[in-house]
Formats: sequence, structure tokens, C-alpha cells
Amino acid sequence: MQLHPILSALMRNKTGPLLVAVQVALSLAILANALHIVQVRQAVASRSSGIEHETDVFSLQIRHLDHRDHQAQLNEQRRETAALRAVSGVQSVSYTTQMPLSRSGNYSGLSLDRKQVTSSVSATTYYSPDSLIHTWGLQLHEGRDFQPGEVPEIDTNTSQDYPHSVIITRQLGAKLWPDSGSYLGKTVYYGTGASAKELRVVGVVARLQTPGAQITEQADFSILLPARLTGEDLSTYTLRTEPGQLDRVMKEAETALRNSSATPVITRLQSVSEMRRDRYRADQALAWMLVTVSVLLLLITASGIVGMASLWVTQRRKQIGVRRALGARRSDILRYFVTENLLITSAGVVAGVLLALALNQLLVSQLELPRLPAGYLLAGAGLLWALGVAAVYGPAWRAASISPATATRST
Amino acid sequence: MFQYYFMLGLRSLRRNPALTALMVLTLAVGVAASIATLTILHVMSGDPIPHKSDRLLVPVIDNGPLAGYTAGDEPNDRQLSYRDATNLLANKVAGRSTALYGISVAVEPARKDLPLFNARGLAATSDFFNMFEVPFRYGQGWSPAEDKSAADVVVLSRKLAEKLYGDSDPVGQRLRINGQQYQITGVLDTWNVVPRFHRIIGTPDGAFGDEDELYLPFATSVRHETQRNGNSSCSGDIAPGYQAYLDSECTWIQFWFELRSARERGALQDYLNSYATEQRKLGRMQRQAPNKLYDVREWLDYMKVVGNDNKLSAWLAFGFLVLCLVNTIGLLLAKFSVRAAEVGIRRALGASRREIFQQFLIETTVIGLAGGLLGLLLAFGALALIAMQSKALTVVAHMDWQMLLLTFALSVLAAVVAGLLPTWRACQTTPALQLKSQ
Repeated sequence: MQLHPILSALMRNKTGPLLVAVQVALSLAILANALHIVQVRQAVASRSSGIEHETDVFSLQIRHLDHRDHQAQLNEQRRETAALRAVSGVQSVSYTTQMPLSRSGNYSGLSLDRKQVTSSVSATTYYSPDSLIHTWGLQLHEGRDFQPGEVPEIDTNTSQDYPHSVIITRQLGAKLWPDSGSYLGKTVYYGTGASAKELRVVGVVARLQTPGAQITEQADFSILLPARLTGEDLSTYTLRTEPGQLDRVMKEAETALRNSSATPVITRLQSVSEMRRDRYRADQALAWMLVTVSVLLLLITASGIVGMASLWVTQRRKQIGVRRALGARRSDILRYFVTENLLITSAGVVAGVLLALALNQLLVSQLELPRLPAGYLLAGAGLLWALGVAAVYGPAWRAASISPATATRST
Repeated sequence: MFQYYFMLGLRSLRRNPALTALMVLTLAVGVAASIATLTILHVMSGDPIPHKSDRLLVPVIDNGPLAGYTAGDEPNDRQLSYRDATNLLANKVAGRSTALYGISVAVEPARKDLPLFNARGLAATSDFFNMFEVPFRYGQGWSPAEDKSAADVVVLSRKLAEKLYGDSDPVGQRLRINGQQYQITGVLDTWNVVPRFHRIIGTPDGAFGDEDELYLPFATSVRHETQRNGNSSCSGDIAPGYQAYLDSECTWIQFWFELRSARERGALQDYLNSYATEQRKLGRMQRQAPNKLYDVREWLDYMKVVGNDNKLSAWLAFGFLVLCLVNTIGLLLAKFSVRAAEVGIRRALGASRREIFQQFLIETTVIGLAGGLLGLLLAFGALALIAMQSKALTVVAHMDWQMLLLTFALSVLAAVVAGLLPTWRACQTTPALQLKSQ
């Protein structure tokens, strides 16, 4: 196969091939960047929250209107927990102060030393008198769960009391003590300065996301504290149901909780799946938009290639006929058009790679997006080559089918 | 002549239906994608209160601890402490000022068929309603005297009022909130300000969240220790209890000034600086960070209300439009090149290049109009789809007249730009050569 005739034909009529090459280049630049962003967002949205079998877990918030004292609130929490445990299909119930992925929670500074003026890291705090490890099925990496003797009862309106044990996530441990293999028994301070509260690490969980589930490493900086707190207007319980019974149990748990109170209460239920959906809604929307644009992009580029190739075939009917009459086989004609297209596409791909890198550079500098890995450029280039050959195949086949007799006719 | 060429253009649409359909579709898809993303960007970055956006100002004072601070650091929070908010409310420089924070309350309807429910509200001072030009359906806001006496009064949103009282005027009635009786002084009309610039901090959907359901006087809300609903930033330890929280340096209040004229901004800045200096003498604000003022536009910019994702979508959509244009150029070239014979005959019969150019340009305009129409439909569809994806975007994903006109203009312009090269090429046909080869 000689490239020379193809090249000289291309050089004689540059506009059409140039247009196709520009289309290929633009497609590749947008496609590679768009798919990379989609992949990054999907990876973020599919991170584990640390909760095992998320679809079986939900939260139930209850708000009482009357203000009761410390003791009455303690009794009420115990009564409500018992009422929830009695619902059939409930595997485990824990009181908690917040939920992962719920987008609303408390964050506090932790430090390694009382002398520190600024905290080492900001972490989110889950308080519970029950076992969140059990209810959420958190994976204990080392150490143990809290013991009943470690759970103080604290009235947040009057008391400065605090628990002395803490369970941290492995990621938080690695941030605080990067050089240690084990974080058990280490001391960490809640807050800074002389009044910072001393906590001893008794356990490390493999993972537990914060309510915000940020896109940075901070998403896994969580601590669990054992305490029964009063003085809040809201109580939040989190429940794990038998597999597949979430919907029924959610309704029955709400009824049970309402019935357990003498006065009217306000309740709010939300499953962890809903929280996850709400948290990543915007990311999913962007991913959908980018995928749609990418698909349209390929369709339009393919239609452009088909259109131009058809035009060239029509324009060259006579020449094709002459070549066939002079002994060229159908496969030669087919190969001519496919090779011509490959040359054009390749030029487009080369320009496209440069354009993709430039576009990525712009996105990195202006919109704080991650850098594009080379794999996406390769995959995009491969895709466009394949698309080019597939798109040109139809017109090329029609060209190959032109009968040699055409050459003898005048038009 | 124009009419005739227009007719020819319409007729030529039918002559090569597959190619024409492809062109119109390409153009429509490109225009729709860019219009849909542009609409969102346009609404998001719009000025919500154009006639006074330069007179409404947010102060940012850094009251964080000196320890660990290096000059030039961003403040820990863009809200104010209770102490600063109440002090600034007493200023004499601004015509109006208000302090805001989100609250969550339990409403007990008088109607027995409605259960207790939670409502999301805002604690504000009496100036709030005038400052942000909140529309009233019934009654009005509370008075400055009621601010001072921390009276138990409430203003309801239209939605909440309709839920509780139907369409009737509830002004003057009493409503039980958090176990207290509150007198209703007014009901708002639907207040769809986009972006919800007065309240960007502390709502899950930021500037594009839901409307607040009720409004309480700031002092009343503090007096009843109403449950806060929003962000709070504290550094260091604070003593237990509500009073200690009020006395602390925790920041949780959003503050707004309204100037009588934008020229007074300098005076307000001076006031803010002298306030901070005065507080420094009391041992506060040791960071000595610059005190900042942001007007509405600067505030929206500073708070990054238009997310990077929206900009990204718009950029990519425009890249896509460029691709569609290149594609259309190619297709038009193909379409026109097969009509070289027609051009040859017309030229031989005396038509000038100019006339040929006109005819073909009108033909591409016809394609542009068709693409614009279809693009508009597609853009509506795309916006509906986008609105379904994200609750925050439902508020912004609606098209206005400006965007509608822009769609057509963009589409026709795109078609004409795309048609220039092919049209010019068509005009180059030499009549003699063309006729000879027939």
C-alpha cells in the first residue's frame, strides 16, 4: 500500500480533511477530560462510609417539646431505646449525636500536646452510650469496643465532665502519629491549651466517614466517644434492621417511639441510602451531564466523518471507476479510504492529545481539578481511531462497490 | 428577493432530507447544551437585588485567637459572635442593619387534624424585611420597639400560613411555637430570590435552598434560647450553658448593613475599624486582621456561590458547540459542493457572486432557525432533566426571555458563521468550467 497517492490527494484538497481532523481533536480533548472527571466523581461517591450493609441502617430523630431535667431525659432515652429494641426486625439500636453522610454535624480540633497552640487535626465526634460499632457494623482494626463502666452521664448544660476513652479511625491515627504502627493506648487531647480534655485510645476502626464526607482525606477523621448526653432538644437513634426489612421497620419504629411518649413529639426518619443519595446528588448530576455530552460528542464526530467520506466518494466516483477498470480490486479501494481516514484521524488524535493537555491545564489552574492521567489520552485516542474506521467503513464499502463501467460514462 | 431566497432555502431543506436533518440536529444539540448550562450559570451569578446591591454590605471581622495565627490567614469564620453582632446593631452609620441566624422550631397547629411539625426559620431584626425587600401578603414585619422588648411575635412564610390557616388572613392570631404563644404580625408572599444571597452560610443547599418558613425577632429568639440551625465556629473551650455561649467568641451570626448611599461605604469602613480598635483595648481581636466589607456582588463572589462544577459544565458545553459548528461547516460544504452545477448555470445566466452569496447565506440562516427551534425544545428538556437531578438546581433551572432570545441569536449566528466558508466556496465556481464538464 502506497501512502504517497493518498497524501498527495489530501494535500490537493485540504479543507475537508482539516475539518474532520479538527473534529477528532476537539472530541478527544473534551472526551478525555470529561471521562476523567466522571471517573473521579464516581470514585468519590462510591467510597465506603464504614457502615456495613448501609441499606439496612436508618436514623430516627425525635424532638420533645417540654423541657425536662437531666434525670428525666436519661430515663426517657433508656425508655425510647428499649421501645425501639422491642420492634420486630430490629437487630440493633444506638443513641447517636450525628450520622455519617447526613451533611450536618460537629467538628472539633484534636491535639497531641497541651502546649500546642493550634490543633493538629479537625475531627468529627460521635457520642453514644451504646455500641455504634455493633449497630453500624464498624470493622474494629485493633483494640476493643467501649465497656459499660466507661460511659459517663453528662448534662451538657451544666457539666464540663467528659469521657476518658476514645475510638478513632485508622486514617485519623495515621494523620496524628504517622510513624506508629499501632495507636492503642496513645493519648490525644480534645481541644487545645490547659483545658484540653485528655482521651486515651482504646480502639481503632478501619473506617468511619464524617457527616460531611468531604472529598479530602478529612472524610475519615472521626472519633467515637462513650457518653450519655442530655440537654439537647433532639435525640437521634440509629437502627439496623434484619436484611431487607428496612421500610417496614422504619414505619413501625416511628409508631413505637410516638407511642412511648406521653406528650406529642416530632419525628424525622432517614435511611443511610437516602443520606448518601442527597450527599452525592450534585456529583451524580455532573457525571450524567458529562456522559451525555461525551456520547453526543462521539455521535456528532461519527456523523461528521460519514458525511465527509460520503462526499469524497461521490466526488471521486469517476476516478474510482478508472482505478477499478485498470485492475484495482475492491479491497484496494476499501483500503484506500480506510487508510486515508486513518491518516486524517491520526493527525486529529495528535492535535487532540495536545489540546486535551491544554484543556486539562486550564481546568487544573482555574477550577482546581485533578491532573489527567495518560491512560485517558490513550483510551480516548484508541476510541477515536476505532470510531473513525467504523464510520468510514460504510462510505468506503459503497466506493468499493462502484462498478468499473462507471469510468466509461461521462458523469 | 429575500423572500424568494428564503423560499428556496426552505425548499432546499427538503431536497436532501438526511443531510439537512443531520445539520439541524447537530446545531440544535450544540445550542441546547450550551444554552442549558449557560442558563444555570446566568441565573446563579445574577444580581438578586440590582438596585441596591452596592448598598447592602456584610462585615467580616476576625475575632479568632492570636495563637497560631499568621498575618494574612483567612478568618476562621465569616460570621460574627453574639457580642459583635449586638454591638454593631447599635451603629449610627448605616441606615438599616440586621443580624440573622437560622433556627429550628416546633410548631403546634391549633387545628387538631394537623400534627406537630418542625419548621425552619430565621431570627432577624425588624429592619430585615425592608432591607431585603421581602414581599408581604398580609400584615407587616414587627416594629423596632418589639425588637427592643423581645416581643413574642412571628412572621410566617406564605407556604406555612397556607398550611396552617388556608387562604385566610391570620394576622393578629396566636400560634404556639416551642410551647410559647406568638402573635402573628405578618405573612410573606412567595419570596423566590435567587440566589438566596442573604443566607448563604449554614444551609445545606447554600444560596439555592428552600425558603425559610418563619421569622422571629432576634432578641426574642435569643431570650427563648431557640434551637439554632446552622454553622457555628468556636475556638478554644467554652463554659457550659447558653449565657456562656453568648459571651463566648463563637461565631454564628450573619450580619448585614444597608447604607443610604453607596458613597457612605468609606464611613462604614472607618466605623468598623474604630470598633475593632476599641475592642482591642478590651483585649479582644488580637489578630489585628483587616476588617472587611463585602457588597452583595462581592459577597456572592467571595462565598463562591457559582460552583466550579457549573463553570466546568458551561466550558465543556461551549467546547461541544464549537465541535458542532465544525461539523456543520463540513456538512454544508458537502451540501453545497453537489450544487456546483446549479451555481454554474445561474452564474452563466448573469447572477453576480454577490447574489449567489446572498442566496446561500439565507439558506444557512434557514438551517440556523430550524436548529434554533429544535435547540430550544431540547434545551427545555435538558433543563427539566437537570432540575430532576439536583434539588438545589430546580430553583435555577428555568429559562427567562433573555435566554430564549439568546438561543435563537446563538443558533442563527452559529449557522451563519458555519456557512461562511462553504458559501464562499460555492461562489468560487467558475461558470465556464462547470458548464463544460456537464
